[in-house]
Amino acid sequence: MVRRQNKLSKVLLSIVMILFAIYAAFPIVWMLICSFKQNDYIFAWPPKIIDESFGLRTYVRVLTDPVKLRFFLNSYIVSAAVVVLTLIIGIMAAYAFSRFDFPLKKAVNSIIVSVQAIPQICLLIPYMGIIVALQLFNTYWALILTYLVMTLPYCILMMTGYFNTLSKELDDSVRIDGGSRFRALWGVLVPISTPALVSVGLYTFMTAWNEYLFALVLTQTTNMRTIPIGINLLITEHNYDWSMMMSMSVLGSLPILILFLFFQKYFISGMSSGAIKG
Amino acid sequence: MATVELKHISKVFSNAEKKANKNIPAEATHAVSDFNLKIADKEFVVLVGPSGCGKSTTLRMIAGLEEITDGELYIDDVQVNDMEPKDRDIAMVFQNYALYPHMTVFDNIAFPLKLRKTPKEEIKKRVEEVAQILDITEYLKRKPKKLSGGQRQRVAIGRAIVREPKVLLMDEPLSNLDAKLRNQMRAEIIALRDKINTTFVYVTHDQTEAMTLGDRIVIMKDGFIQQVASPQDAFDHPANIFVAGFIGAPAMNFFPAKLERVGDEYYVQVEKLRVKLADEKCAKLAAKNVASQDITLGVRPSHIRVDQGGDELQGTIEVSEMMGTEVHLHVKHNDNVVVIIVPVAGSYEKYSKYLKHDQKVGFSFDGEACHVFDAEGKNLEA
Ligand SMILES: Nc1ncnc2c1ncn2[C@@H]1O[C@H](COP(=O)(O)OP(=O)(O)O)[C@@H](O)[C@H]1O
Ligand SMILES: [Mg+2]
Repeated sequence: MVRRQNKLSKVLLSIVMILFAIYAAFPIVWMLICSFKQNDYIFAWPPKIIDESFGLRTYVRVLTDPVKLRFFLNSYIVSAAVVVLTLIIGIMAAYAFSRFDFPLKKAVNSIIVSVQAIPQICLLIPYMGIIVALQLFNTYWALILTYLVMTLPYCILMMTGYFNTLSKELDDSVRIDGGSRFRALWGVLVPISTPALVSVGLYTFMTAWNEYLFALVLTQTTNMRTIPIGINLLITEHNYDWSMMMSMSVLGSLPILILFLFFQKYFISGMSSGAIKG
Repeated sequence: MATVELKHISKVFSNAEKKANKNIPAEATHAVSDFNLKIADKEFVVLVGPSGCGKSTTLRMIAGLEEITDGELYIDDVQVNDMEPKDRDIAMVFQNYALYPHMTVFDNIAFPLKLRKTPKEEIKKRVEEVAQILDITEYLKRKPKKLSGGQRQRVAIGRAIVREPKVLLMDEPLSNLDAKLRNQMRAEIIALRDKINTTFVYVTHDQTEAMTLGDRIVIMKDGFIQQVASPQDAFDHPANIFVAGFIGAPAMNFFPAKLERVGDEYYVQVEKLRVKLADEKCAKLAAKNVASQDITLGVRPSHIRVDQGGDELQGTIEVSEMMGTEVHLHVKHNDNVVVIIVPVAGSYEKYSKYLKHDQKVGFSFDGEACHVFDAEGKNLEA
């Protein structure tokens, strides 16, 4: 009796889960299908999954267009730089927070936390002013510097929490064995923090890769635009190139998808191990 | 040659350092106060005392991990107060092993040599030698996660001794092991001493470990040294009540008593029991011209005898623990519990009555067994 009930609830649960999965996956699948069609066929009625326009033609159009390729290059440069800088600066800041006592430690910590709480739109105008004053408008650095403000707090908080779970005797041990604190950090603490670093790195990459608002405002010329802006540029007054948008979206989602699949194992364990203390 | 000398060493943890740790009250902690000790070459010195008495802090100051607030520290007659840990040529074994989890056992042990740019073949040779000594050769390729507690401890020791440091510091290295393994590792550390030429400074809160390992033991309390002595000396002639109670297990019993001087002879009186101190003790007290006074009398559990007749102290057995070759009695006497060790010699009849609850028992001791402490707790003989 009990067993049958269990079985029934399992079946019900599965049905609900499948419905949710379909609901979540539908836009992605639709995007994928549309990206293989020609623009004129997308709104054909009745809708067909595969029609005579089905093929790689749009992808070829995207990948042979230097303007579109430039969007991808820009996104890769900015995102990679943000990930590298966030991790380097964040790791060192987190080490200081975890291992040292310094004046105003609490105050600095609260500032870092509160930066995250300010809506980004409020920061747009001040940053615009700063970036223009620094003569960085319409450069990679304009995006990299503003993205660091978004990604560093999370990185510092996560890594401080993670380092706090690692015994200080590890540092002591390295220093006695003949190394410096620098060596202890990069030679021991960082290698054993891989799960946390992967999850922080992924989050950072996604933030930089997907960012739209600042990228729109802080760059001006087409050759400095990133993918999210590039996709949006396809919407013009006279022409919505849906199939082009869809194939660019697919190509734009691909890196994140690949990273997730590749680091899945680390990502999940990083989320949970950082949660123990912090 | 490696001597270590601590001259008037003190450590104060200021407010700023402590705010991070909410468990510690707000004012400054004097973790170590006026610590003086000269450690000879190849000596095995044990710092022992209850938790929080400043043992680890002292050790960490010798290592250079903790700044010295006041005083001078010499290693081989060179003042090292401001020297970095890596330049002091010391090694340390930590309580939780502090092995590098992402490296194999081989790489863990090789790490200090690599940092010192030792040639590769030399590293291999030395690591294998050490692995041989510690019997961990078969685990060299494993990661620490795959080792048992005892094996991890050996790796930690291996990493410490591989570069033949002048001084080997150990901070409670055995306290994470279970009792059986602890005894085994203790024996191995004793054996290790003969194999390597190093000065040892060993920290423990466990008096048995201190007694069995140390050439000399330093008993500490609240940051102050209570006594520096050989284990036997600390046991036979404790400097004060604290040392008397801390060294030896089960702990010494204390009674409020009166010391009475009659010429050059001394008597202690506890209730109706009057005992003449041993001649040697009398001579010491007389030489110091100690007067009659109220004292605390200390007697070790194994020096108390039961049911000898005559004027005895009376008590009731609350607990009796059968230990095989002896019975430990916990006897309620006035408001105190007195622990008495009764040897299980001869027939069952002889000791069976002591296994009974609420049994009345009389007990006494002789003048050899008495330790006399004044009102401040100092040993009057010392
Ligand atoms: N980093 C620190 N900051 C503040 N107080 C400390 C610190 N380390 C130790 N103490 C204090 O110093 C005293 C001695 O500690 P410790 O040397 O660790 O004792 P033990 O090793 O004998 O148990 C304790 O009161 C402890 O709370
Ligand atoms: Mg300690």
